[in-house]
Amino acid sequence: MGSLSHSQPRSPSHQPRQQRKHTPKAKTQGLYQRAIKQAFIKLDPRVQVKNPVMFLVWVGTIVTALVTINPNLLGNATDKNPQLFNGLITLILLFTVLFANFAEAVAEGRGKAQADALRSTKTDAIARKLLPDGTVQEISSTDLRRGDLVKVIAGDVIPADGEVIQGVASVDESAITGESAPVLKQPGTDIASSVTGGTRILSDELVIRVMADPGKGFIDRMIALVEGAERTKTPNEIALTVLLAVLTQVFLIVIATMPPIANYVNSPVSVAVLISLLVALIPTTIGGLLSAIGIAGMDRVAQFNVIATSGRAVEACGDVNTLVLDKTGTITLGNRLAEEFIPVNGHTIPEVAQVALAASVFDETPEGKSIVRLAETYGVASFFNLDQAEGVEFSARTRMSGTDVADGTEFRKGAVDAIKGFIRSRQGEIPVELDHAFEKVSRLGGTPLAVCQNQEIYGVIYLKDIIKPGIRERFDQLRRMGIRTVMLTGDNRITASVIAQEAGVDDFIAEATPEDKIEVIRSEQAKGKLVAMTGDGTNDAPALAQANVGVAMNSGTQAAKEAANMVDLDSDPTKLIDIVTIGKQLLITRGALTTFSIANDIAKYFAIIPAIFAQAGIGSLNIMGLASAQSAVLSALIYNALIIPALVPLALKGVKFRPLTADQLLARNILIYGLGGVVAPFIAIKLLDNFVAAIGLA
Amino acid sequence: MLKLEFLETILIRFRQQRWPKVFLFALLGTLLLAPAVQAATGGTLDRGQTFALVLLGITTVLLSIYLFVVIFQPERF
Repeated sequence: MGSLSHSQPRSPSHQPRQQRKHTPKAKTQGLYQRAIKQAFIKLDPRVQVKNPVMFLVWVGTIVTALVTINPNLLGNATDKNPQLFNGLITLILLFTVLFANFAEAVAEGRGKAQADALRSTKTDAIARKLLPDGTVQEISSTDLRRGDLVKVIAGDVIPADGEVIQGVASVDESAITGESAPVLKQPGTDIASSVTGGTRILSDELVIRVMADPGKGFIDRMIALVEGAERTKTPNEIALTVLLAVLTQVFLIVIATMPPIANYVNSPVSVAVLISLLVALIPTTIGGLLSAIGIAGMDRVAQFNVIATSGRAVEACGDVNTLVLDKTGTITLGNRLAEEFIPVNGHTIPEVAQVALAASVFDETPEGKSIVRLAETYGVASFFNLDQAEGVEFSARTRMSGTDVADGTEFRKGAVDAIKGFIRSRQGEIPVELDHAFEKVSRLGGTPLAVCQNQEIYGVIYLKDIIKPGIRERFDQLRRMGIRTVMLTGDNRITASVIAQEAGVDDFIAEATPEDKIEVIRSEQAKGKLVAMTGDGTNDAPALAQANVGVAMNSGTQAAKEAANMVDLDSDPTKLIDIVTIGKQLLITRGALTTFSIANDIAKYFAIIPAIFAQAGIGSLNIMGLASAQSAVLSALIYNALIIPALVPLALKGVKFRPLTADQLLARNILIYGLGGVVAPFIAIKLLDNFVAAIGLA
Repeated sequence: MLKLEFLETILIRFRQQRWPKVFLFALLGTLLLAPAVQAATGGTLDRGQTFALVLLGITTVLLSIYLFVVIFQPERF
């Protein structure tokens, strides 16, 4: 629960995103060649049957191929040059299926490339297993089991995921995070004690308790996820599949019942034309691109160095109504620094500095170190033997830390209320100026920490909080999208309200405990809202599991990572906002292409129906003036096939995201993709018809 | 006794093979329906054309059943 505390350890990876060095992990060379090969492999009917729209096209291709071989197979052919015409239809239908397969293969290929890059980091390392009698046994990392103790020394690859129980060492995690800066690992610090198998220890040695059985480690799960091995359809995808199947069913029944009507109006239609009409009318564009859009959404999240456990999680991001954000590290820069000592109770600044230094000598957090540095500028130094003193660690419950010296002296620093309680418990006096100093610091948006020695308060440390640049604009964007932001902080009410106002969040909860986080999530969910949050500590795990979108930091504990449905490899809590944007983009892209695909039908209908029923007296509906029935069918089918690869870049990249309300987005989508979907095929089919007629194909 | 085991094996295998069973029934349906269709068309279609046309009709019905399965059990796809 690092962010709610003032003295939790920070991972060294808490740096501005711009400063990080990411090495491109996934090689995308040869991606398109592999995708072309996969497009043919996916012609397997067991694969095709998973996509109802494209399966119908696939069956149609086989039937038209048969009537190409024998044009009189299903009745006496009446078309002009039936073998050429049927052959062209077969070819176009085959390409329609291949293009849809290609779109899916390209999207999958990107994930596979990333999985390959991750797999290359997995080596079958030799592990030094510590036996109960203290001896070391060298075994293969695949023979390790959960609960085993292993020793790793500088240069070793960490053989499995685990928790550090002994030693301090720097670890290179670039294999999974792409970040070149080593990370300090040590036991008992909740955040920094978690290590990942496949990463390399750079210095010193560690004793690790294995937390995952072989094949179930973090990298294994990441590989399975980015490869799409565990990909199941999301609720929205399922709903859209049903819609597409219903449309396909309706058109199948319409086309199947058409021959008797066509014969009755004395305008018999060949089976190849009927199949063409069916393919032109069913929503092949979205049917062909649907899975590619979903896979690409997962891929976009992965490119952001975030691993999603399922497409459902990415999609849920798009529907999120409330963001629960920690103040520290998300809204303000992670490391608060000591800015000023404010004396009370008649003490001087150097005296406050002396006590603050004594209370912070064992505090290894950036905040603690900054207090020591500021105190040293006043020329003070530790006046007791460190070997005869003991550090008192911060906890979310006590909300203070400090030092106990062997002679019985107690130095404490912490939240003003907590220190007041400490003083009262030791029958001390609380000076009136303390509240003034507390208010002064709080009104500046800083965190006031009271310092005391035994039962006497010496003053207040002003910890300066810096709001991240551009965060206000991000929250404004979120508000326009209808997303409510709630800031959680361990700070007092005044500080919290100042920061909340400056950052522009909608609501805040001050003096929050880890339990408050789960309460906020539950109350929002009770109102029917979808909630997203970030967390890194073990005590965040229940809230991460409760939230609809829980993003764990990679620097966090194993428990947090297992409870969350996303893991941010950069450990940057601000990324939650970007992930929500990606989720929205995924939903917008799917909606836009569905609108476009269905709108396309109008033009195809006007192209084919008047042409083939011209003899029935509806030739006047041929408003495009297409050359002949055959050229109309071929043009509509060619357009139908070509639009799939033409839209692949849009499906993979996603529709450009704009922070608009749902109504504005709907209006915009209907205008661009609805109207565009009606107009574009009219123009394209007319041009294709001219071309088909000019080269004498029909 | 041996014949009984053999028949039992065939029956078990037959139950396990889903798609070949569908094809078998489709062909059997064609055999049953084709003569009726040929009679109805008044001889304008030859025997082969009738069989192919009936098979196409059965395929269309199977596709329609498949689409109903997708509509009612979409999570299977």
